[in-house]
Amino acid sequence: MSKTILIIDDSASIRQSTQSALQDAGYHVIEAIDGQDGLKQLNGQKIHLIISAVNMPQMDGITFMQEAKKRPLYQFTPVIMLTTESNQNLPPHYSSTNAKAWLTKPFRPAQMVAAVTKLIMP
Amino acid sequence: MSFELDDDMKAALVTFIQESVELLQELEDRLMILSGQDSSDDDIQAIFRCAHTIKGTAGLFGLDAIVRFTHIMENVLDRVRKHELDINPDLIGLLLKSGDHLRVLVDAASHGRETTSPEQLALGEYLLNQLKSYQNTLELPKTSANTQHKVETINTPQSASGNWLLFLQFNEHCLRDGMDPLAFIRYLTTLGDIVELSTFAHNMPDAEHMDPETNYLSFEIILSSNADKETIAAAFEFVREGSVIHIIPLEHRIPYYVELINSLSPEDAKLGELLIKCGVITQHELDQGLNTQSTDTTANKPIGEILVEQRVVQQPIVNAALTKQKDLKEQKARENRSIRIDAERLDKLIDLIGELVISTSVATLSAKQVRSVALHEAHAHVNSLVEAVRSSALQLRMVAIGTVFSRFQRVVYDISKELNKDIKLVINGAETEVDKSVVEKISDPLTHMVRNAMDHGIETAAVRLARGKPEQGTVKLNAYHSSGSIVIEVSDDGNGLDKDKILSTAINRGLIPPGTELTEQEIYALIFEPGFSTATQISNLSGRGVGMDVVKRNIHDLRGAIKINSEIGLGTTIEIHLPLTLAIINGFLTKVGDISYIIPLDRVIECLELPTNEQHDYMELRGEVLPFIRLREVFNNTGPISKRQNVIVVEHLGLKAGLVVDRLLGELQTVIKPLGELFSHVQGVNGSTILGSGEVALIIDVATLLAQQEKLMQASLTSALAHIN
Amino acid sequence: MDTYSLEGELTIFTAAQLKPELLNFLHSSTAPELNLSAVTECDTAGLQLLILLKREATLTGKSISFMMHSKAVIEVLELARLTSQFGDPIVLAHS
Repeated sequence: MSKTILIIDDSASIRQSTQSALQDAGYHVIEAIDGQDGLKQLNGQKIHLIISAVNMPQMDGITFMQEAKKRPLYQFTPVIMLTTESNQNLPPHYSSTNAKAWLTKPFRPAQMVAAVTKLIMP
Repeated sequence: MSFELDDDMKAALVTFIQESVELLQELEDRLMILSGQDSSDDDIQAIFRCAHTIKGTAGLFGLDAIVRFTHIMENVLDRVRKHELDINPDLIGLLLKSGDHLRVLVDAASHGRETTSPEQLALGEYLLNQLKSYQNTLELPKTSANTQHKVETINTPQSASGNWLLFLQFNEHCLRDGMDPLAFIRYLTTLGDIVELSTFAHNMPDAEHMDPETNYLSFEIILSSNADKETIAAAFEFVREGSVIHIIPLEHRIPYYVELINSLSPEDAKLGELLIKCGVITQHELDQGLNTQSTDTTANKPIGEILVEQRVVQQPIVNAALTKQKDLKEQKARENRSIRIDAERLDKLIDLIGELVISTSVATLSAKQVRSVALHEAHAHVNSLVEAVRSSALQLRMVAIGTVFSRFQRVVYDISKELNKDIKLVINGAETEVDKSVVEKISDPLTHMVRNAMDHGIETAAVRLARGKPEQGTVKLNAYHSSGSIVIEVSDDGNGLDKDKILSTAINRGLIPPGTELTEQEIYALIFEPGFSTATQISNLSGRGVGMDVVKRNIHDLRGAIKINSEIGLGTTIEIHLPLTLAIINGFLTKVGDISYIIPLDRVIECLELPTNEQHDYMELRGEVLPFIRLREVFNNTGPISKRQNVIVVEHLGLKAGLVVDRLLGELQTVIKPLGELFSHVQGVNGSTILGSGEVALIIDVATLLAQQEKLMQASLTSALAHIN
Repeated sequence: MDTYSLEGELTIFTAAQLKPELLNFLHSSTAPELNLSAVTECDTAGLQLLILLKREATLTGKSISFMMHSKAVIEVLELARLTSQFGDPIVLAHS
């Protein structure tokens, strides 16, 4: 059974390209359009990895992460944060989250797959 | 990962792809035959050959994934070929799947990619593992009570061909952060083969205190991979913070990196850059090392040492890089010195620039007739550029004195053999620069001086030992710059000059009248007089008729000066002070009528005011008769005469005279411009120069004027005598 | 002989809960046996627990056997090259 990845980004094109690259690589991908929507996906299903943008309407990626960590089923789920060049220098409070993996936009789908593969194999 | 090939290789790659597709088809066909009834060894041979050919060719293109895969296939097929392994439907199925996988890899290569999707990678790994199980001499046990050693065979490394040693101790929070160490290790298998792996749990506390969510494990891995260190280290980028990660080339790979470093020819000779370039350290590791270096300023450790301490790289590799770095620096230094220009061309250039300077001055003067501010400004700019061009052109002529010095090693060796003395030559300041024309003319005088030092300066071994000196004598050549001149020293640690002996010899030879009071320097200077020799034993060398008087003349021709320091029993140092360039002169600017004359400063002894009533062609100066040379008369100058005239006392080779000029305008440094052919016949002038005002000034050839004066005096004396008789 | 059957994940998500259970089982049994056939996932946290059990058994003079390794467990033991160190027979599932 292929592993499930939740991708949270308000950009439809990012979601689309990421999803197709990851699906080609053998992962099962589910989507959310922002943090709020992402939390809805944490409904008990097994999620092996979360990929989330930082800046989003409704709920940003950092708040989402903090919320996710409160839920036992997702507290140890690895998270890759998508960031832009401009917020590469992360504010201190980001370190309070367990986001250790950062991927800088723009990235090629292959880079995304490589980053994911380091954390979980399909 | 993508790879780059040049056009030829791209063409070859196309051929390889076609070939491989055909070979894989044959592989498949033959496998189908094998699965049937009537197969032969030929089929197995053919299958083996397919894998073998693909492997060999793929290596040419750096298609490592294909090489890695076919290598294992080849091993298994080799066993089948040797009947060590029976062919069976499972194996045929596996080989067919392997063939399919190879097609995918070849297809990827044809599109310029080396790796395929992670899915394919995973499939590849799976197939490889399956194939490897056939590679082992023992079949995997299904179940067995005594499995210990048999299970171990699974872990027997395929080969000891690992080339990276990884030590991984991820930070203890990594599990809670969702970072699974095993996942990173799994990812490593996409970069290469894990040849050996050891898991260590020694950091795990006792059961009671063991926190199940804390990471305690550490791993030591031997990875066989063609990936460079940067790529391997990138596998751990998400977990690097707070983790201990060492990736170092295996001991037996050290020679490989040493060779790699030696083969590099980078522009940048920084140690860290060299190490990164050959893939043995990562940028991050270098940055950390440099950071350590800058924070711990007290230790002031070289970066190489820090990198070794941080277990980033081994000492032999750093040593190789250091050697390479030194080589590069030397090479660069050689290159800096290696532009060869025909000396004539250079002289021609300097000449032309001299012409240019004069022409520019003329143009500037003409421009002054035109009352145009813009034109004046333009000329001022041209003038400053011409000035800059001239001074850099003069720089071109500067060469290191070492080119002359180095010849003396051989000279000293030969002479010490000849004299049967053990003498060594020590050279200092070989890099000191001096004008090429000076270098050319200094060689002969130096040879005489070095010979003299060895012959007359350095004692015999017996005498040296008796004086408590080392048996081996030392002659030193030294050069340095000092206030606009170059000073060349020839020194020895021998006898030193005996003033009394020099004086008595000089008196014996009639060089000086008895009872003459001389200063120390004047006494020493006597050794440069023609026909002087203090050596009690006239040796082979000094009997050749070339004496120190030649040295004196040469040095004077170079507008140089000689100074001698000597201490009896300890040695002698002869200093030669030479102008840095013969093209630049320190002169004394004077005026006769409207014309400027420059008298080389090194010939000037003093300046006096001409007594107003002095009508003679000489004057008395401190009890000596000083003949006058009236420049006005010499050069047929008809310009206005000033009321008060001046006398400049000049000397050359013992001849003295007073040059009578109108006005003294002071010292200046100026560039000698050779006279054109038109003026070459003019006696008493050996060059010209352009003054800041744009005016041309003539440079007085003091030596020639003095010689002329001497001739005239001799002639008038002779005629006077003849008259009397 | 007592057998404890692990089910589901043997990972960071379950490690905190499983640790006391598994240790209790080890201490309460004379010839403990751990059935791993139903382990769906295994990670470093899971592997650490297995190592802890083996070590604790040795310390208390016992021997704990792992049996019926699931694919997930085999993969991890192979990756960590601990199969022979653990010394349990591994039944390879037929493909």
